[in-house]
Amino acid sequence: MALYKRSLILILAASAGGCIMGNESAFNPAGPQAGRINSLWLYMLVTATIVWVVVVIALLYAARRGHRRAAPEVSDEINHRMKKPVIAAAAISALILVGTLVYSVNTGEALASLPSEKALRITITGHQWWWEAEYMDPVSGNQVTTANEIHIPVGKPVQIIGTSPDVIHSFWVPNLTGKKDLIPGHTTALWLQADKAGIYRGQCAEFCGHQHAKMAVLVLAEPRSQFNAWYNSQLQPAAPPSDSMSQAGEKIFMSKGCPLCHTIGGTRAFGRIGPPLTHIASSYTLAAGTLKNTRGNLAGWIVDPQKIKPGVRMPPNDLSGTELQALLSYLETLK
Amino acid sequence: MKTYEKVVDVTETPTVVFGRRASTWMGTTAFIAIEGTTLVICIMTYLYVRKNFHRWPPPPLVVPDLIRPTISALFLALTTIPNYWLHQKVRKLDKRGTQIGLLVMSILVAIAVWLRAYDFRDLNAHWDTNAYGSAAWITVAFHSTLLALEALETWVFTALFWFGPLEGKHFSDADDNCAYWYFMAIAWLPMYALIFWVPRLV
Amino acid sequence: MTAPMPVVTQEIALSADDLKTRDELEKSWAYPRGFVGWLKNTSHLSVGKRYIITALVFFILGGLEAGLMRLQLSRPENAWIGPDLYNQIFTMHGTTMMFLFAVPVMTAVGLYLVPLMIGTRNVFAPRLNLFGYFTYLIGGAFLYVAFFVNNGPDAGWSAYTPLSGPGFSPGKRVDVWAQTITFTEIAALSAAVIIIVTVFKQRAPGMSLNRIPLFVWAMLVTAFMIVFSMPWVATGSQMLAADRLIDTHFFNAAEGGDALLWQHLFWFFGHPEVYIIFIPALGMVSAIVETFTGRPIFAYPVMVLSLITTGFMGFGLWVHHMFATPIPQLGQSFFTAASSIIAIPTGVQIFCWIATIWAGKPRFTTPLLFIIGFIITFVIGGVTGVMIASVPFDLQAHDTYFIVAHLHYVLIGGGLFPLFGAFYYWFPKFTGRMMSERLGKVNFWLFFIGVHVTFFPMHILGLEGMTRRIYTYLPETGWGPLNMVSSAGAVIIVLSVALFLFNAITSWRRGAPAGDNPWGAASLEWATESPPPPYVFLHVPVCTSEHPLWDETDKRPVVTGLRTDIRENLYTTMMDAEPDHRHDSPEPNIWPFIAALATGVMFITAIFTAWGLVIGIILLFFPCVKWGWPVRAEQEKRLSGERDPLALAGR
Repeated sequence: MALYKRSLILILAASAGGCIMGNESAFNPAGPQAGRINSLWLYMLVTATIVWVVVVIALLYAARRGHRRAAPEVSDEINHRMKKPVIAAAAISALILVGTLVYSVNTGEALASLPSEKALRITITGHQWWWEAEYMDPVSGNQVTTANEIHIPVGKPVQIIGTSPDVIHSFWVPNLTGKKDLIPGHTTALWLQADKAGIYRGQCAEFCGHQHAKMAVLVLAEPRSQFNAWYNSQLQPAAPPSDSMSQAGEKIFMSKGCPLCHTIGGTRAFGRIGPPLTHIASSYTLAAGTLKNTRGNLAGWIVDPQKIKPGVRMPPNDLSGTELQALLSYLETLK
Repeated sequence: MKTYEKVVDVTETPTVVFGRRASTWMGTTAFIAIEGTTLVICIMTYLYVRKNFHRWPPPPLVVPDLIRPTISALFLALTTIPNYWLHQKVRKLDKRGTQIGLLVMSILVAIAVWLRAYDFRDLNAHWDTNAYGSAAWITVAFHSTLLALEALETWVFTALFWFGPLEGKHFSDADDNCAYWYFMAIAWLPMYALIFWVPRLV
Repeated sequence: MTAPMPVVTQEIALSADDLKTRDELEKSWAYPRGFVGWLKNTSHLSVGKRYIITALVFFILGGLEAGLMRLQLSRPENAWIGPDLYNQIFTMHGTTMMFLFAVPVMTAVGLYLVPLMIGTRNVFAPRLNLFGYFTYLIGGAFLYVAFFVNNGPDAGWSAYTPLSGPGFSPGKRVDVWAQTITFTEIAALSAAVIIIVTVFKQRAPGMSLNRIPLFVWAMLVTAFMIVFSMPWVATGSQMLAADRLIDTHFFNAAEGGDALLWQHLFWFFGHPEVYIIFIPALGMVSAIVETFTGRPIFAYPVMVLSLITTGFMGFGLWVHHMFATPIPQLGQSFFTAASSIIAIPTGVQIFCWIATIWAGKPRFTTPLLFIIGFIITFVIGGVTGVMIASVPFDLQAHDTYFIVAHLHYVLIGGGLFPLFGAFYYWFPKFTGRMMSERLGKVNFWLFFIGVHVTFFPMHILGLEGMTRRIYTYLPETGWGPLNMVSSAGAVIIVLSVALFLFNAITSWRRGAPAGDNPWGAASLEWATESPPPPYVFLHVPVCTSEHPLWDETDKRPVVTGLRTDIRENLYTTMMDAEPDHRHDSPEPNIWPFIAALATGVMFITAIFTAWGLVIGIILLFFPCVKWGWPVRAEQEKRLSGERDPLALAGR
């Protein structure tokens, strides 16, 4: 077990940013989709700025010119003289709009037609308030389910299939591509690809209730070998705990109602309401990107999740100090 | 100092006009536009949820009954004939004719409302069964609400023309009431076709 | 830059005949006094004024909510406001600003000014007008009572299903929202019908279509947009209420309903609504530019066509609020094209105003400053609007603070700036007194700076990943500093609005008397006293040109022959405004108010039981009959002067 280790790149990225998030921004594309959108944006930003500057200069000039004269001009002649510049301004605006439209439609088509046969398919399900990601391998039939942290191989197109069992959520990782709503009763699809390794943060974009604000997702783009190692590690069920403390922790987990909501592969915990915990110890964050995954944070979360995310579905847990320590030890074995 | 100069004298203009000339007619038309839009929304909703089902109506629901709703729709359409007769009397400012016409229409709208009650039963679906039931119900219910309100208005007009203190302008109002009844009777036909025929055809 | 000194002028010399007419009109158009009188007062001046003041109160409440949000977001992980309250606050802010402030204030200014501008004594269906006001007031008060007892809606002003549905929003919060919407829709639809008929039928003789002031054109287009858009959200919100109360399944995917159906219904109203707010503002801009440049707006027919085109096109854009949902590619391109091209008619109007200013002699009074601020601010909102019309870019910007920035640039830039300008401009007409120019200019600069400091950084925040409707954010996101800037800007806006209120209140009490036409404007609302008397015009004016007051000689052409012993309005033909007929204007009575109360009982009861609708109809029946049933004493007066086209045989 524990074949998968945090890659050096990721540690570097984390420490360089002073946090585990990358530079979350649509301005900082890390894949072809976000790159194309960024070029379109830059084009529109430049034309828009020019348009605005020209309008404001024309306005201020007109105000200044008029202010100096003795009386307003109302003759037919002046009306006639103004006709041409106004028509020209309208025509130029129309041309700029058509240019933007063509560029935009082209970009839209390029975004829609990136796929390749060998794409990785991930089904993402939005829940109040966490993300479930399912990797289906059509050849082997293997299935990996993870939560809130989505690993993808660098340089490989990924198709995200999105849906939701409760309310509408919206999956968005700005460095990689635009967003797509996850709608109950509908299935949506989205292509993305990361060209650079890194951790890309995003958060739910469609208002979905109390903890809409703290429903983040991390996309971890890794070199293929690392991705494969991670994937294989995820296929494994949880190993039974070896030391007595963790064994006690497992008993507590199983007896306290945790299995009603959580799954731990290889045990009799198969609840589907909360995120699966089979490999919780190897994730970076807890509570949908809200907390760094440390023993202290995990303890705080288990004891009183409502304090950290008011309204969240997880109830507070009344555990004695020893029970909590045992439970934490158990969870830390779930690599 | 300016002074007023009276350049237009309107003493000789009438105080009772009909149709497009009357402001109340235009107000009625605006309300018909609003209510017509609402009926269109009901129809669009019905068609929109249609695409979520393979079969329409979705099993185990059965198609709506046809006999009574058809009689009801035909009856409603035929009331436009006495309504037309009344409309002519109103425009001629014929008080006696208007009184009789309104009385007849009062009875006919009551029958129309009574017949409509069966339309709900003949849908063979309930509003809380599924989206089909909800959409069919709201379409019928919305038109029925307008129908019932229009029935009340017709009765009030009848009372006014028989017992009330009458003015010329009330003929103009009765004129608008006739116009509204055409809308009620005719708007129902496409809705009837949609609700009672479309599930049979597709 | 000096403001024109207002001079009190007795602009018209009254003859003995005129004085007699005035006495008679004062009697026949008198409105009852006291609180009960206020409940009965059907004068469009009274209704319009209270509509405006009520809307401003809601503006302040909505602004305070915005202030609370800016306070909460000023730094990361702020613990002042939890998600439960925050969600109510932002829903209240959106609902208040859109439904209780922006649309009502625009229709209110229209209801006050349109009759004045077209030269008539009261609106069509003044009792309906009063009824509309009270339903609006009851709806707004109901929303706030619910909010103060912790039952404010919390699913966003767009109340997306299924979050707003029975499964995910138990309790009554969303029902409160749905019924508030219904109340305000009734008010808006009433106002729209009134404005359409008033403009079509009650224009002063001679005011043919090509002489209608641009503001009146704008209100007419707006009224038509209300007629065809408001029913969508009214019906939609009733379906939502039904899903919640009687288990219908319109939006329930499990039973064949569709969450996207709600979005279509909502945005088919919601997008036109933006133009319902914006188009009246365009009319205000034209009025102000014309007056303060001292010349006609350049290319009047083009301006009118632009307004009408914008009105039509406003209905073809709704899907651009739904680009992140599954929409076919072809559909996306269509809506992208439509959403960009709607920029052209507005662009044309901006060019025409610039041309007007260029050829005119601008006087830089507070109203005109606000118009200049409008162009500078609104164009930013316009160009970001073109950006988010592009599907690929919108997928990045959608539901982020970029959109928050855009919509505030459009609504504040395109709505509030002109509205403030309009307020300074027409304040003398509303109250008979001038607002302080000095405070006005400070007000303008504070507002201008505050708006840009608050909203510009939000563009950047949005593209850096900050999504909408979040009650807090983590420090790691790096959004803290720009949020702090934005919150600081909000403080400046609060100061400027406070200054505005101070200016309005003190000027109302102590401002310089205004006279009939303090700005030297051209349109007919300035051809009567400030504030106008209950009968509005001593003699109904005759319109002899596009700019009647500029082209006037020493004689003011007016109508004679309208009865002065009863309230009577003149009706003219739709196109050429030739005198057509006379009709009495209804006397004030209490029943519109009672009917509004019954409507209130109906919708509020309907939150708890579907029988509320039946109870409501029963309660409404009697007031509605009494509303229109003739009163014999009033009637006898009217009958004495009735002139029918045919003999009233047998009556």
